Amino acid sequence: MLLTLISFTTNAHKSTVHPTEITIELALKQQSGEYHRPYVASWIESSKGKSVRTLLLWREQAKWLKDIRRWWRKAGRKDPVLVDGITAATRAAGKFQLSFLAQDDNKKLLKNGQYTLFIEVVRENGGRAIIRQPFSLNGSKETFTLAATNETDQIKFSVSPK
Amino acid sequence: MNLKTLIVVALTCAISTQALAHSRWILPTHFNLSAENGEWIMVDITASNETFNVDKAMGADYVQIITPNGDVTRPSSTYKGHRKSVADYFLKSSGTYKLTNNNKPTYMTTYKVGEERKRIWANKAELVGKLPKNAKEIKTSYRFARIESYVTMNAPSDNFKTDGTLLELVPVTHPSDIAENEQVTFKFLFNGKAQKNVAVEVIADGARYRNDPQALKLISNAKGEINFTPTSAGRYLLIAEHQENTPDSALAGTQVGTVFLTFEAQLN
Repeated sequence: MLLTLISFTTNAHKSTVHPTEITIELALKQQSGEYHRPYVASWIESSKGKSVRTLLLWREQAKWLKDIRRWWRKAGRKDPVLVDGITAATRAAGKFQLSFLAQDDNKKLLKNGQYTLFIEVVRENGGRAIIRQPFSLNGSKETFTLAATNETDQIKFSVSPK
Repeated sequence: MNLKTLIVVALTCAISTQALAHSRWILPTHFNLSAENGEWIMVDITASNETFNVDKAMGADYVQIITPNGDVTRPSSTYKGHRKSVADYFLKSSGTYKLTNNNKPTYMTTYKVGEERKRIWANKAELVGKLPKNAKEIKTSYRFARIESYVTMNAPSDNFKTDGTLLELVPVTHPSDIAENEQVTFKFLFNGKAQKNVAVEVIADGARYRNDPQALKLISNAKGEINFTPTSAGRYLLIAEHQENTPDSALAGTQVGTVFLTFEAQLN
């Protein structure tokens, strides 16, 4: 029994990296009434809950960044240079095709392992939605359909080794 | 005037016979901020057993803000109303600010005349000629209450310097990292040393609107630590108290330390 465990562990260490593409078909929901474009962040956390990569940040004023609660706590507040570098303007409701290489914030390929994709959407005088989807990087393709929330329609997310 | 009110408030606290004192707290408008060029906060200061509805104004004369680089500063302005005082403060640089509203450590003697409880601000050595002849149950304590909170602008920093006086709370989990459904660890020191068996209560905001106050009761372990997991996002008041007998002291029979910490658990 012990021997089996050891050999399993040894095997697990062999795998390292596979260049992998992450695609997200982001869908910001149409809202009625007063509408301010949402602040949106998407990022990847390791299995230990540490942010390894901010994929996108759509925002306006710095004073509202804290309202993207989890992203701000896990990533944004710790790295102003990253925030500046990745910032893009907010977008109106609609669908957005996005793709990224599975790299960390320092542009190093992410190692094989378990990760979680996060998408956090916060709208002034509207609501907040946070979507989390665990996924694996292990050289095989995975596709997910992320259920609609108050702020998002169904989102497609896939992980495709190149 | 402010001082007088403070003393009245402190007296009210002191006569509480249970382990945990009458609540005093400070409540900042924000615990976490993002800003490029600084940001204002305001702070409510009150003595109230209702978390977080204000009740009796405490003065803001003792309010201090310790900046991320350790400077001790004062609010830019304060106002004292009947139910609360408020303080205005501008956070200029990034990091964690510690807000406190601590009085000084004091000696207090309580006694009974007949069935009436009385107290004076004096240590054992000062009592001569000050108590009526029929005073009974004379007890003198040395006590200090810390009323504190932390506010973080942009990246958090450590601002947890201790001074070794009676009870102190040292955040092991940084206050700006507290989030719903994640474990929080705080450590207690008494006279500078890790203290076990500190009695702690953690009460969520909105006590007025619950039949059951739902206070989470905890006791610090051998390392002086408590661990708990807030199950919902929101603001919380932590009340901790610890008492040690000091039979060898010529000034007081006990030492009593209290900490009131206000913090928020963020949405996760």
